Amino acid sequence: MQNNKKIFFTIFLIIFCNGLKAQDALKTQFNFAKTLYENEKYFDAITELKRLIFFDSSKTYFYEANKIIGDCYKMGGKFSEAILYYANSENAAISDSEIFDERINQIRVNILRRTTDRALMMLDSLSSDKRFLNKINCINYWKGWSYIFSDDWEKAANAFAKTDSSSKLVAFCKEVHSKKYSISFATLISHFIPGAGQIYAGHIWSGLLSLGWNVLWGYTSINAFIDNRIFDGIIVSDLLWLRFYIGNIQNAEKFSKEENLSITNSALHFLQFEYRGVKP
Amino acid sequence: MRYFIFFCLFFNSLSLAQEALTNHSNLFSPTNVRKFADYLFTQRDYLRAIEEYQRYPSILENDTVNFKIGFAYSEIGHNQQAAEQFLNTSSKSIFFDLSKLEYLKSIFKENNFEKYRYTFENLKLKENYIYFQKAKELFYFSYLFSDECLPPKVKFLETFSSNQNEISKFYDWKTDPPYKSALTAVILSSIIPGAGKIYTEKYADGIIAFLATGILGYISYTDFKAAHRFRAWVFSALTAGFYGGNIYGSAASAFIFNAKIKFDFIESLKNFLEKNNYFIPKINF
Repeated sequence: MQNNKKIFFTIFLIIFCNGLKAQDALKTQFNFAKTLYENEKYFDAITELKRLIFFDSSKTYFYEANKIIGDCYKMGGKFSEAILYYANSENAAISDSEIFDERINQIRVNILRRTTDRALMMLDSLSSDKRFLNKINCINYWKGWSYIFSDDWEKAANAFAKTDSSSKLVAFCKEVHSKKYSISFATLISHFIPGAGQIYAGHIWSGLLSLGWNVLWGYTSINAFIDNRIFDGIIVSDLLWLRFYIGNIQNAEKFSKEENLSITNSALHFLQFEYRGVKP
Repeated sequence: MRYFIFFCLFFNSLSLAQEALTNHSNLFSPTNVRKFADYLFTQRDYLRAIEEYQRYPSILENDTVNFKIGFAYSEIGHNQQAAEQFLNTSSKSIFFDLSKLEYLKSIFKENNFEKYRYTFENLKLKENYIYFQKAKELFYFSYLFSDECLPPKVKFLETFSSNQNEISKFYDWKTDPPYKSALTAVILSSIIPGAGKIYTEKYADGIIAFLATGILGYISYTDFKAAHRFRAWVFSALTAGFYGGNIYGSAASAFIFNAKIKFDFIESLKNFLEKNNYFIPKINF
């Protein structure tokens, strides 16, 4: 009996040591890859993590390795690959919290590559998932960022307002929204007063010039109709007046869009370099 | 107890096998590096696969590995390195013949067709060279890319063992491209405003140019007739502007049309070659 116990103990010790050794080797590889990642050697980090995944038959590091590969690809601007590896990581996730984190990682990359429709769709699916009811703050936060990148600052402000700690972002989004020009208003006023839409969008000289052309050709064509030169009137109004009238409306829309783009870009520039919170 | 010991030993052997793979230094053993490189290669992660293959000289002694490295370079568009790799294939290698063909393909992919033809002729490929026919097909196909004189159509087409109809169309396209003459477009537009644009298949532009020039010309004519001299001169200037613009536009339209034809032709050739893998047989690694 005493002998059996000894044999049992010895065998147990051998198995335990071998198991430890194997895990130790994988852990060393994981730490090595992680160090490469931390030193911003993303290409090498991906290689070593792929090696780890290839040899890790027990899939112990599958979740973390895929996650870091996703991070590396994201840092290198390879967004499609990043999403693929985050999805792999999500598949290997065990807890709800890990699944949530990996979905958020995919959403963040979708925001960055401006596939915001996809990001919003994923966020909607997260908010309708009962497992993540306690994460609603986080979901709304990323909804806010999705709206920012889809250039809808008003909705972004509303989404941030639903979170607990994004008051600065709410104020910022509202400010950007108020700065932006209304394209429909610019085109509408251009219908009534040619050039007014362009002046509203800050292009004063272009607006005045447009007004001048419209007055000139409008006067010429009306004058032709008054003088009973109907053909002249039709041609001048159709070919010249109408051209400048339509051009004035198109310019109002174009200038408003350009100004809005410039406002959006400077807002994004500010968020990129000045904002200290979590960003996509 | 006996069964228990047997189970433990069996489990232990499994654990040992895993250890053999996962011991950290073992991850970088030549055998495991080779396995990992093969995995990367099948995943089309070619750049990493090359790095792994090149990690140990002992791995590079393998013919298949050397061929795979050349193939990987070719796939990622590093044609010069691919050519060098294929050129260094040993004559004893089973990939020697195929490497020659891949070498030629790498030169071809660099768009250096003169070099391709020069190399093809200087490699002194014999008729008994297994891929002679394939190399010859690529040799003749290279003429479609360059501005040199094409060989006679019958001789040209009989080189190709398949896709003769498609290649025949390429040949016709090359010998008689459906270009539009800028001079013809200018002359047509000078006689009938807009006709040059219609000739270059810009139908809407042509009709608009015709109407704009015609109507403005007519207004200036009626204004001169009615002694409205100022308006008449304004419309005359506009007519002249439209007329001149229509002539210039027709010439530009012809150039754009021709550039598009040439671009489409080259793209079709490239697509055809990609689809047919440059006449090279596909290898299942």
